[in-house]
Order: sequence, then C-alpha cells, then structure tokens
Amino acid sequence: MLTKDLLRVSRASGGYHPQFVDHASDDHRALAARVLGVYQGHVGEQHEALDEALTAIERESDDFKLVRGFAKLLEREAVFETQSPIEPVHARRTVFEAAKAIGVVTESERTEALSRAAERLSVSPDKLDACLYDDLDARQVMTAFDARWSPDELLDQYDLSLAQTALFDATDVRVRSSDPKALVSAVKRLRLMYEIEKTDAGRTVHITGPDALFRRSRRYGTRFARLLRTIARAPEWHLQASIDDRGTERRLQLTHEDVSVPDVDPVTEMTFDSGVESDFAARFLSLDLDWTLVREPEPLAAGAHVVIPDFAFDWQPHSADFRVFFEIMGFWTPAYVEKKLSRLADLEDVELLVAVDESLGVGEQIESLDHRAIPYSGTVRLKDVRDALRRHEAELVEQSADDLPNELVPTHDVVTLEALATEHAVSESAIEAKTFPEHARVGRTLVRPAVLERISEQIEPGMSLSAVATVLDEDGIDDTSAVLSHLGYRVAWDGLSGGTIREK
Amino acid sequence: MLTLSFEDGTIRIDGAHADSVSKPDLDLPSIDYDPRSEAFRAPAYRYSDLIGALDEQSVDYTSRLSIPSLDLSSTYELREYQEAALAAWRENNDRGVLELPTGSGKTVIGIGAIEALSVPTLVVVPTIDLLDQWRRELCEEFAVPVGQLGGGEQRIENVTVSTYDSAYLRADDIGDRFGLVIFDEVHHLGGEGYRDIARLLAAPARMGLTATFERPDDAHEVVAELIGECVYRLAVDDLAGEHLAPYDIKRLTVSLTADERERYEHAQETFTDYLKRSNLTLRQGSDYQKLVMRSGTDPRAREALLAKQRARDIMMNADGKVDELTTILDRHRDDRIIVFAASTEFVYRLAERFLIPAITHHTGTTERREILDRFRDGTYSRVVTANVLDEGVDVPDANVGVVLAGSGSQREFTQRLGRILRPKTDGERALLYEIVTEETAEERISRRRR
Repeated sequence: MLTKDLLRVSRASGGYHPQFVDHASDDHRALAARVLGVYQGHVGEQHEALDEALTAIERESDDFKLVRGFAKLLEREAVFETQSPIEPVHARRTVFEAAKAIGVVTESERTEALSRAAERLSVSPDKLDACLYDDLDARQVMTAFDARWSPDELLDQYDLSLAQTALFDATDVRVRSSDPKALVSAVKRLRLMYEIEKTDAGRTVHITGPDALFRRSRRYGTRFARLLRTIARAPEWHLQASIDDRGTERRLQLTHEDVSVPDVDPVTEMTFDSGVESDFAARFLSLDLDWTLVREPEPLAAGAHVVIPDFAFDWQPHSADFRVFFEIMGFWTPAYVEKKLSRLADLEDVELLVAVDESLGVGEQIESLDHRAIPYSGTVRLKDVRDALRRHEAELVEQSADDLPNELVPTHDVVTLEALATEHAVSESAIEAKTFPEHARVGRTLVRPAVLERISEQIEPGMSLSAVATVLDEDGIDDTSAVLSHLGYRVAWDGLSGGTIREK
Repeated sequence: MLTLSFEDGTIRIDGAHADSVSKPDLDLPSIDYDPRSEAFRAPAYRYSDLIGALDEQSVDYTSRLSIPSLDLSSTYELREYQEAALAAWRENNDRGVLELPTGSGKTVIGIGAIEALSVPTLVVVPTIDLLDQWRRELCEEFAVPVGQLGGGEQRIENVTVSTYDSAYLRADDIGDRFGLVIFDEVHHLGGEGYRDIARLLAAPARMGLTATFERPDDAHEVVAELIGECVYRLAVDDLAGEHLAPYDIKRLTVSLTADERERYEHAQETFTDYLKRSNLTLRQGSDYQKLVMRSGTDPRAREALLAKQRARDIMMNADGKVDELTTILDRHRDDRIIVFAASTEFVYRLAERFLIPAITHHTGTTERREILDRFRDGTYSRVVTANVLDEGVDVPDANVGVVLAGSGSQREFTQRLGRILRPKTDGERALLYEIVTEETAEERISRRRR
C-alpha cells in the first residue's frame, strides 16, 4: 500500500479511477528501472543522499507521485542502519552534560564542551561533533537492498498498491469472484461483514464494516485494502466500491484485468477439498452432457451466513440460463453435519442437489428441506446425478420449445434438425414438431426446394453412389439415402460399399 | 429474554424477534435491525442509554458486558475549583467536558473521577509525553498495574492509558473493557477519525478535559453528543496569580542576511510568477488547496509550491534568530529555558550549535523520557523542541521560553505560553521571548495574533 498523498486517481465523469501504469509504455518501465537503479546504487550511502537522488528524478519526471510511489515500495526492501563510531545516544548524553557544566553560548564554549566530552569518550572532538545525530533517519546508512522485483514486477506491484490505496476511503465494496471461499474467509478474518445480493451478473458479496449499520464510515478502508490482496489472487473477479471522497460519493471499479498479485500464479485449475469431490469432477467431465460443471460457483445467502456449494451444473444452451447447485456432504463430525443442515434450512430459494454419505443418515432431513438428496457410499454415482439433472432437462426443453414459434424459417439453405435444435436450445423432438414453410424436410435435414431441384438435375439413373455423394456434399448434405429416396431413386448395392442409382 | 453483547464496536441485541423490525414492541434508543447478522444492533456509545431504557421499561435482559468494580483510592487533595469541576461532571450523570487552563491540574481531576467511580478506566491522550505523564501519575496513585497502548506497547490493564491513534485502531476490539473513559485534550476527538473512539466504546461514564474546547469547525458539537456538554469552565485569568505563574512577553525582530534576502526574494518570485502566469489569486485557504491539488499533475505548480516552501524555510530558520538566541542564552545563563523552533531541521541545527538536548518526533521514547527527567532534576537546564511539547506536558519550573517561529493558530500560541506558566519557587515572573523575521509573512502572523 502507498500513503494517501501518493494516490493518483482521476475523477473523470464522477468516477474514481486509479491511474494505473501503462504497461505497454517504455516510459513507465524506464522510470521504474531508474528508481530501482537509484536504490541499488545507494547501498552504503546515507538516506539523505538517496533522497536527493530521488528528488532529482522527481523534478525531471512529469509525475512526482509516480516516482515517489515506486520509491515507497522499494524503501521497504532497503535496510538502514546507524553507523557511528560511538553510540549516538551515549555520545549526546556525555556532550549535553559537559555543555551544561560549561553553559555553552559562544563558539569557544562549544569547542571546550566538545573536547571535554571527547576526552571522556576517547574519540577526537571532530569525530564526536560529526556523529552526534548519526541515528537520525536522514543520516542512517543503507546497508542492504534486496531488489525483489524486476522493473515489470515493480509496475505490477505498484498497480496493486495503488488500487489498495484507492480503497482507503471506501465505505463499502461489492465483489464477485471465481474464488468465493477465499473471499468469504478473508472477510471473516478481517472482522468485516457480508451480505449476498442477487444481480444480473450473478450473486455479489456486499462487504461492510460492523458500524456501517449506523453510519457511512471510512474506518474500514484499510481492511478493504487488505482484502484486495485476497480478491486479486482469484483468476477472475470484479469489485465495485463506494468512495467517500471528502464528502462526495464516487464509484470505483476494479477487475482482474487491472490488478494482479505479483509472485502469485493465478490458480486456473480446479482445486478440491476432498477426494470424493475431485473424483466426481473428473468422471463428470468425461461425460458429454448438456451441462457445464462449475467449481465453487457463487456464494448463496443462508440467513446471516453464506453457503458456497461445491459445484454448479449450468444448462449449456445459454439462452436457458438455468443452474443447479451441487453439494457433496462427506462424513465429518456431528457438529459439522448439524451446522451444515442448519445452513441448508436457511438457504435462499435455489435448485440444490446434495450428495450425502449414506453413513450420515440425513437424506430424509435434506429432502424435507426441499433439496434433492443423493445418497452415496465411497463415490458419488454419475447415474444418480444424471437422473436428477434429467428431470430438469425435460422441463427446460419443453420450456424453450414453448418459447419458439410454430413456423420456423432457418436462414440456411440446408440445415440439419440437430443443428437447428442446438441453435434454439431445444431438443430435436421439439424442432420436429414445428413446420418449415420454406424448406422441405428430407430425412433429418431441411433443404430449400430450389436446392433439391438443382440436385435433381445433376442426378440420373446409372450414376455411382459415390458420384451422388460428391454432388450432395457440395451443398453440405450428408444424408444421401434420404435425398435419393425423396427424389424417387433407390440404390442398387454392389458389395459392401459401392452402389448404383436406379429409379424406384 | 434479551441478550446484550459487545461485538466489534456495536451492541448486539439477540432474542428480539425479527418481526419487531416493522412493529417494535420495545422502545429502545438508536437500535437498528441488522440483516447481515439477523439481530438488532446499537452503536456502542448508546449502551448506557440502552440499558437505562430497558430498566425503565422493566424488560428482562442479560448483558455480557459486565464491568467489574475496583477498589481505587488516591492521596490527592483536590483544590476547590477541581472539586467543583468534578462535582459538576458527576451531577451530569458522569458525563461531560471540563474546560480548564493548562497548568490547573486537569490530571488530578481525572484521577479524582477514577477514584470516585472505581471502575476499569481508559485514558486517551494525544502525545507520547502525555502518555508517560499519565502513566507515571496513575502508577503512583493507584496500587494497580497500568496498561499502555501506543509508544511501542500494547498492554491492557484495568487502568490503561492510550494514544488517540492506538485507541482509534483498537476501540472496536476493547470497547467493552472499561466503565469510564477520560479524553485528555478532548478537542482532538472532534477530528473525523478520532470520533470513532468515542462511538465504538461502550463505557457509560465519559470525561473530556481541555483548555480550549471550542473548535472553529464546530466539531465540539459532535464531542458534546459523544461525551456530554461542557459542564465546567474556568478561564486563565480566573487562576492567574493564584495557581499559575504570571508572565511577561518580549517580542524581538531580526532581519534576513543579504544572502538570505536574495534567496528569499528569488523563491518568492518563482512562486508569484507562477500565480501570475496561471491567473491564480490566493485570497483564501481554499485557493491554496486548489494550488496543492494542481501540483499533483502540473510539475510547474509543484515547482512553485516547493519555492514557496523554500521561502518559508528561509524566513522561519533565519540566521539572525540564531544570533538573537545566542544573546538570550547568554543573558539567562542561570535560568531554565525551553526553546521552540518551527521545523525539526532547525531544532537539530540549534541542538548541534548550542549542544542542547533536542526533542522532536524522531526522538525515541526512552531518550525523550530521559531528557525530560534530567530537565526536571536539573541535570539539564535547557531543552530545544519542535511542536511535540505543545500540549499539557508537565515541564516543571521552566522560567524562560523562546518561541523561534510561530504560526497564526491561536490555540498553538496559548498552549505554548501555558508551557511555562508554572509557579516559581522564588516568585520571579516568567518570561516569554518571541523572535520573528522582519517584513515577512511571519511578522504579519504575529501581528494578527495581538
């Protein structure tokens, strides 16, 4: 984090936009490299000298706050020590005592006091004079500098710190994250509070401080800033904060595209809490279903608490937008099971499927909470999950079919029923029930009459089957026998593959 | 039955049904339904109102905030006006602010309140020096361990002294530990962030101590809501001659050297040129704020501000002041002298030139304490400092003060004066020197103050 005076933020159109560095610009990288170099080059020198060098860069640069921001981050990696021939506090004490005895006013009294003290400390008066305040910050010496970052990494670190600093004046934040579990546990650790809010983009965790109930407070800004570190570790996230900008409310938006945590590779692979879960995910993904598997999808409100289900199944044809949550309840302590059940009882109204370890014997209790329970022992059976999902499928298909008009006019000249079904996110049977005023149905393919006519002109009895297939292929039709039959031909087969066209 | 518990700076009330959200069957002050935890809450500072209302309505409740009773007694005999101040505060339900001049023994009244209530107490102070001073007094008076928050320590005891900063950071965490909270220099509590300290503590009894309660921004009204109204007020003149030493002021003017004058004019020109070129006028404080804002993005504005700063430094730290100080030190060789300088840099320059112990915000706690102790016992007779001794620190028997640069703030000036307003053993009048630079903005500041 930076200090607030180093915050670079634009308030364009009422917003609050941190001025992130331009990673594509050589200027910013060069500036970062220069500041880094100044630190590296000042090992063994006093803080004052370092500050002068930094001030020189500041004066040449258009943006002194950026220079100071880089310096602020690097300063933490530098070690400063007091280097003095005599311990300065001891030196001062001795000098002040001698000065009091003499009553120093004039230069000569000063010299006298210094030499008396120097004698007691066994150093030369000049040396003593020079080292009196060697322990002041400005006179300390940089003894080590550990350049943890390359210029590029310094830019990343700067962006993160800048975003954190922008949150200092936040009064609340709303976050969507692909790692909600880490988010919620960090919120608790930081003694913040949350609520789940439904939005068009999915469930959002609304995070506030305890006192927020009574008063908009910037008190929790530094906690939000610390929270950002956790948030930014997730591969995908979105944050929106209300900023109390000296009395004016402004909105800050941040996403994974703005900020990342350097030195941390975002985890894109699914991670699992238990073998049962990972085993299930692996087997499910090997099936080719109309459902997509999502790991730890989003937090669900459960009274004053939150439930983050292990998985969700998304109905793939996206226009349908239907999600079934899936929780695998393994064997745990009775207290855990009790807590889990009480959370499920408070859960908001969503489709939830719970796989329960048979030995828990709580299947009925779960069913009584209006959630579907699948008992399992050892591993979760795919068939059970498949069956549970299938109940929704029929309904979803019917729902989307109902939404379709009775007459369909596909834009393509040739289209299969299967492709059309996928396009409209309905089953093929739903498509079959429709009429197609501009197409002829040939087997499981829809073809415009003009195309059929053209094909008909190119086909005559005696042609080989493979020649016909070539003709049809030009129009993207692979249902050869259905077309032939439609046009009044049949195939006289010779052998296993080849054949000749005959009239019916 | 209702259960009251302290949670992160709020009072959480469990056992009230959620339908009382729309139809409250209890008439309780400032409680709100919190959907995040599905319970009712009140800000912690309303705790005593809350239990007052519950008792009045004979509602059955248990409170997890139980403040133990201690046995505390002190040896102080309160002076008449101290007695009166304490009585006024007790009559106001153990709440309110007492306004008394520096040097009138505000600490003693605070100790009187702790003794009278005998409950765990938090004392909140603005500086490390005051932290040390209160701790020393409390350790001497009461035979209990005294905790400390701030100055490198974080230890809580039944009687604890904290800085405002530490109290701000810890209030939501320790707000249920104390029955009484005393804010020394309570005008600080009006600051936006510091208010939280009083908001997030549940302590029913609250005392504010200050020499100057009124703030120009009216923030004292906020303090009045959180602590209570001002219940007792005593002016410097009411005490002068009786409990405080009388003092005289001498005002000396020095000129810039030729070299200083040249550098000053040059810097000043850079600044005014920029104003002219960019069509800016500085009529009020907000204009200056605008310039500061602009300097964040405009390097020329920044250069102008830096030049202004250089001009100010030249004026504040003029060589002539060092010469004038030499004369004063020579004249007062047998006196006990405190020198104030405006910048830390200047403090160290004087410390090295005259070999006088310096106290600034860079000075560590141990050394700071040692210097003050040695000043007190006579090992040292001079101290040079920046602003850190401004408020309420006990610096006994200094009879000469030298202010090398002042600012226009009324409070700063009176409090600096207060620093040397101490009864002297031989009855000699105390003397305050003010040294300003001629024909500069600084002189205008000093004139405006008269």
